[in-house]
Amino acid sequence: MKYFLARRLLTLVPVVWGVVSLVFFIIHLTPGDPVEIMLGETASKADMESLRKELGLDKSILSQYLGFIGEVATGDLGRSLFTKKGVFESIMERYGATVELALTSMALALILAIPLGVIAASRKDTSVDRVSMALSLVGVSMPSFWIGPLLIMVFAIDLGWFPVSGRGGVESLVLPSITLGTAMAAILSRLTRSTMIETLGEDYITTARAKGARGAIVLYKHALSNALLPVVTVAGLQLGSLLAGAIITETIFAWPGVGRLTIQAINARDYPLAQGCVLTIALSYVFVNLLVDIVYAIIDPRIRYK
Amino acid sequence: MINPRAWGGSAMCLVWLGFALVTFLSCLKSEPIPSNTLFIGIESGPRMFDPRLSTDAAASKVGDLLFNGLVKRRDDFSIAPDLAESWDTPDRRKYIFHIRAGVVFHNGRKLTSKDVKETFDFILDEKNKSPWRSSLLAIDSMETPDDSTIVFNLKEPSAPFLGSLTVGVTPAGMDTDMAARPIGTGPFRFVDYKTEERLTLARNDGYFDGAPSLAGVVFKIVPDETVRVLELEKGSLHLVMNPITPDILSRLRSKPDLKVVTGLGTNYSYLGFNLEDPIAGNIEVRRAIAYAIDRKSIITYILKGLATPAAGLITKASEYFESELAKYSYDPERAKNILDNAGFTDPDGDGPKVRFTLKYSTSQNELRKRIAEVFQWQLAKVGIGLDIRSYEWGAFYSDIKKGNFQVYSLTWVGIADPDIMHYIFNSESMPPNGANRGRYVNARIDELTRLGRISFGAERKRIYSEAQKILANDLPYISLWHSVNVAVMNRRVKGFVVAPDENLKSIKDVRIIPPKVKT
Repeated sequence: MKYFLARRLLTLVPVVWGVVSLVFFIIHLTPGDPVEIMLGETASKADMESLRKELGLDKSILSQYLGFIGEVATGDLGRSLFTKKGVFESIMERYGATVELALTSMALALILAIPLGVIAASRKDTSVDRVSMALSLVGVSMPSFWIGPLLIMVFAIDLGWFPVSGRGGVESLVLPSITLGTAMAAILSRLTRSTMIETLGEDYITTARAKGARGAIVLYKHALSNALLPVVTVAGLQLGSLLAGAIITETIFAWPGVGRLTIQAINARDYPLAQGCVLTIALSYVFVNLLVDIVYAIIDPRIRYK
Repeated sequence: MINPRAWGGSAMCLVWLGFALVTFLSCLKSEPIPSNTLFIGIESGPRMFDPRLSTDAAASKVGDLLFNGLVKRRDDFSIAPDLAESWDTPDRRKYIFHIRAGVVFHNGRKLTSKDVKETFDFILDEKNKSPWRSSLLAIDSMETPDDSTIVFNLKEPSAPFLGSLTVGVTPAGMDTDMAARPIGTGPFRFVDYKTEERLTLARNDGYFDGAPSLAGVVFKIVPDETVRVLELEKGSLHLVMNPITPDILSRLRSKPDLKVVTGLGTNYSYLGFNLEDPIAGNIEVRRAIAYAIDRKSIITYILKGLATPAAGLITKASEYFESELAKYSYDPERAKNILDNAGFTDPDGDGPKVRFTLKYSTSQNELRKRIAEVFQWQLAKVGIGLDIRSYEWGAFYSDIKKGNFQVYSLTWVGIADPDIMHYIFNSESMPPNGANRGRYVNARIDELTRLGRISFGAERKRIYSEAQKILANDLPYISLWHSVNVAVMNRRVKGFVVAPDENLKSIKDVRIIPPKVKT
């Protein structure tokens, strides 16, 4: 396991390097000048050149790139061009909110999806199956920019149960989590159902039943643990994308997460901050994937990492 | 012994539940909402608070409450005293300001002329890269003969100089980080800022112009416009200002708890042309377009009245406004005749073929795209094709500055002084030296915009009056409309004034009437 972890961590390096390099070049080659945004259009040419030099933006793109990679390698993400705050500090200020929302949404999605998927599979082609799958179809068809305001209208405005937006107490997490969790729950429940149906058709399930195992034991002990592997893979990918920031949901609910920060940094051509955000997102993705691989070993003993 | 096969699924659920529980418990702290505090919804938070360095709109709005300048602008854009009680101008190169007595900073320190000098020294110091430096380059030297007097010696007479002294004054020798924890002399003092969540200000009881009646102001950052409006309806926000999509206003007007207040704004929307382009550079083409656009319909049906037709750059509220400008009321027949006479004949009359097609650049803003589609339809009626290209803002703006456009539409924000005409239309101001993006060249405009900088009083008015007339005839820009500012607020909010430049200074005099208790 240790060898596996070390090997996986090493393979992260080229992945993260690739992503960060790609983003560096895309951001730098996109039209837009941070110096002009900082000094305003009315600044003199001399002032602009002077600032460009100070920020190192007068150097060739290759030279800027090498400097950037060198800084990242030493753990220095630089400072935001506009707020002058450290990039790491700026991201960490927002990352907590993103993690909070991502984990809550994922927890909600799993709590809904797995039982729904299992029930639907065990009662395949009955009305229970059809209703639960119809519900999941509705869930996956509702985009967050629609369900978000709808939830606000009903539960925040009409019923007054939750705040409209913002990050505050536990009540502020409910509506954004439902907005994000609904679509994920829908996807995961359909996936759970299909993998469960496949697993329930396996010979060992028939054997278990023939041996007189109770229905619930067969379902949850024998079938579910084997059917979960693809679900864990998809849930891991979804969690990765949640940790990259759910930009639409964050915007609707005024949630101060990394997604909004990334968009703001890109719009303002705040190169160090945008690069730092993308690096964080890439690291989140690969970390979650690593976590998924470890969870595989726990769920399925046939998988052993040597 | 635990069998992973048996416990895998349950363990997964438990792990996630655990995470969720920890998260829930970690944020179990609701903050009480203080009474007599005004809650304002804004689109994004300030990048930094230091008035010497910040340029973003949010910082400017917040700065109105935290800082005072040496002078301030009235709603007609004339200059009024602020921290300076009065000033003398023995000659056009010397300004002697007498600083108001009894002004103290939020940290309790008394304001002196040294604070003012250090504020401007900081801005003028090249190494600080202040965006305000270019507007203060007329200053040759500053003297502080005593604590209540500051003297500005100018390199040459400068009419726009006074207007550039509105920048907020900060305390000298500060050991705090002004960008993050600002200290000013304004009616409210900084309390706390949770990045992109909320900014809290509290009343400055020692404000020199009388303490505000509000206990504080909270700026809540709500990026989505619909949600800002819903917050307002719920009562968790008291006030929301521009931008408000015109379509939402009718809904808000029907709410008994809310009131919609409008006022003439300074933002000027226009069509810009690349004058080096063989078609867009033809004055007859621009005149035809000016007649072919039905501004009034767009203002009525798309902008829902939140604009007034403009004939020039300067708004009616300004003392420099010239009313006798060439006007181009909607007249498609006249537009067709102009094009026919200019040799741009329509190949098939009212058929689908066009005389020529122009590339129209715009941003991805939905409202702008809708307006572009109306222009396309209106111009098609006179036989002009419009190929609409909408770009990401950075890419769009970069193209405009490089002159990589045929026709585009943009808005100038916060026009307070006619000196901006030098920056936009003087031939020396072609990018990167200014914003003459259409490459407009007119020797008389060059001279007038230069003279406007060193002329004062009635002479200056005459100069800009002539400049406005020339521009209305030459049409380097086709004027579209001036914005109407809009604020939507709870009816319990009293005393808020919608200022032409959208400043929030009137919050100092705002009161919140307690809600009526139902019996």
